Amino acid sequence: MRKSLYETDEAIMEGIRNDDERALAHLYKLHFPMISHFIINNSGTDDEAKDIYQEGVIVFYEKIKSNSLELSCQIKTYLYSVCRRLWLKRLAEKGRYANRIEDSENYLSLEEDVPQHEENERQFGVMAEALDQLGEPCRTLLEDFYIRAQGMQDIVEKFGYTNTDTAKNQKYKCLQRLKKLFFTSYKPEV
Amino acid sequence: MFDHRIYEQIERYLAGTMPAEEKAAFKALLLTDPRLADQVQEHRQVLQAMQHYGQRQQLRHKLNSIHTEMETGSKTVTSELTAWKVFFKKHAQTMAVAASVSLLSVFGTLWSVQQMKKPVQQQTARYIELRREVEKIKKEQRAIINGIASADAAAPAPRSARFSGTGFAISPDGYIVTSSHVIQGADSILIENKAGLKYKVTEVHRNTEYDLSILKVEDPAFAGFSKLPYTFKTASSDLGERVYTLGFPREDIVFGEGSLSSASGFEGDTTSYQISIPLNPGNSGGPLLDEKGNVIGVINGKQAGQEGAAFAVKSSYLLQMVSQMREREAGLAISLPQQNNLGGVSRTQQLKKLQDYIFVVKVYN
Repeated sequence: MRKSLYETDEAIMEGIRNDDERALAHLYKLHFPMISHFIINNSGTDDEAKDIYQEGVIVFYEKIKSNSLELSCQIKTYLYSVCRRLWLKRLAEKGRYANRIEDSENYLSLEEDVPQHEENERQFGVMAEALDQLGEPCRTLLEDFYIRAQGMQDIVEKFGYTNTDTAKNQKYKCLQRLKKLFFTSYKPEV
Repeated sequence: MFDHRIYEQIERYLAGTMPAEEKAAFKALLLTDPRLADQVQEHRQVLQAMQHYGQRQQLRHKLNSIHTEMETGSKTVTSELTAWKVFFKKHAQTMAVAASVSLLSVFGTLWSVQQMKKPVQQQTARYIELRREVEKIKKEQRAIINGIASADAAAPAPRSARFSGTGFAISPDGYIVTSSHVIQGADSILIENKAGLKYKVTEVHRNTEYDLSILKVEDPAFAGFSKLPYTFKTASSDLGERVYTLGFPREDIVFGEGSLSSASGFEGDTTSYQISIPLNPGNSGGPLLDEKGNVIGVINGKQAGQEGAAFAVKSSYLLQMVSQMREREAGLAISLPQQNNLGGVSRTQQLKKLQDYIFVVKVYN
C-alpha cells in the first residue's frame, strides 16, 4: 500500500467515496492504536476496543457514503469523539460508570451522529434476529436475491426448484414471514 | 389475497422498472387502495433494512479482515506516545497553575527587590542640575487653576519657553554667562531682566567641563549695558563667608542667602564651591556674590536628598574661560568690569543695583 496516497484527511475521504478499500484499510490502521489505548486505559479489553472502534469507523464510513458528513475537525478527532461516546454508553450499559475518563485527545460532543447510528443499529439487530428466526432455506434464498442480488435463474438451480415460478412463490412466502417477524419487533421511531 | 405476482409488481414499482402506463395505473390504484399502499410501504422498509443489513455485514467483514491483517502485521503500537499524551491531559491544568505560580513569584521577587532597592538609591548622592522645565510646571499650574474654575477657557497663549534658568552680564558689551545645561539643546534663547528688557542671544562659547556658556546679545539695536556694579574675584573665597544669589526659580526674581560651606563641590570637585543656599530649578546660571559684591561663582546644581548642599562653579574658572575666548579670537571686545560699586553698601541697595544685570534665560526648542 502506498502510504503517501492517503496522507491527508481529504484524500482518505475521497478514497472512501470512491469505494477504495485501501483507503478504508489505511484509515482503520491509522487510528486504531489511539482508540485501543483509550478503551484499554478506561477499563476495556482488546475485543471491546476492536468492537467499539469498528462501530466508530462504520459511523464515519456511512456518514461519508451518505454525504451527510460535515467535518469540522480532523478525522482523528471525529473518530475519537464517536468512540468515546459509544464507549461511555457501553460502560453505562454494563453498569460501570466511568467517573474519570482519561482522555488523550480533544473531542466533540456529536449530539446528532451517534443517536442516528444507534437507531440504525437497533434496526439491524431486529433484522438479524428476524433472519435468524426465519431459518433455512428462506434466509439464504432472500439474502441471495435481495442482498447479493443473484438472478432468479441461479437461485432456481442452486436450490433445485423445478422452475422460476416455484422459486418466486417460495420467495414470496419467505418474504411474507420475514415481514411479519420484522414488524412485530420493530417499530420505527420516526 | 396477495400473491407473488403482486409482490413482483411492487418490487418493480419500487425499483422503478415499470413501464409508464402501468406505473400510472399502479399509482392510481395506490391512491384508492390504502391496504396496498401500506403493503408497498412495508415492503420498501423491509427491503431497505435487509439491504442495509447486507451492506453492514459486508462492511463488518471487511473491517474484520483489515483488523486481522493489521494484527498479523506490525504489533508494535505507539502506546508510549499516547501514554504520554494521557499523562499530559491529566496534568495539564496542574502544570499550567504551577507554571503561572512560578512565573508570578519570579517577577514578584524581581519587583520587590527593585522596590527595596529604591530608598537605598535615594540615599546615594545624586546631582541635580537646576534648570527649570517651564512647560511642565505651567501645565501643572493650569491643571490646578482649571480645577478651581473651569468656566473661563484659556485663550491660546503665545508659545512659552521650554526651559528656563538664570544668567548675568559679565561685560557691558553684551556678554552674559549662564550654565551650559540650561541652554542645552536650544533652538533659540531669549533673556529678560526684572525691568522687562528682552534680548535675543546666541551662544558664543561653551565649556561643558565647567558647565559654563557665554551668550552674546544679537539685537542690532543693542547699545550695551551700563557699567556693571560688581567685579569677579580671582582668588579663592574662605569657608564660612556669607554669600547670596539672585535667580529666577519662578517668574519673579528671588533672593537666596547662605554661607560658603565647602571649598570643593560635588564628590570633591575642586572647580566648584559647596554653598548652603536653598535653591530650586531655575536658579542655575545665577551669580554667587560675597558680602562686598564680588562674584565668586556661578550657581549650577545641588545634591538630591541632601539639605542645603548646592554647588557653584568658582569665578576663577569663568575668568579662565574668558581669557580662552580672548586667545582664540584676537581683538574680541569683551571688557570685564574693574570697579566694584557694591562695597560698603547695604544689602538691599546692593540688590537694587544688581537686579538689572540678572536675566531669566528662556530656552525654546
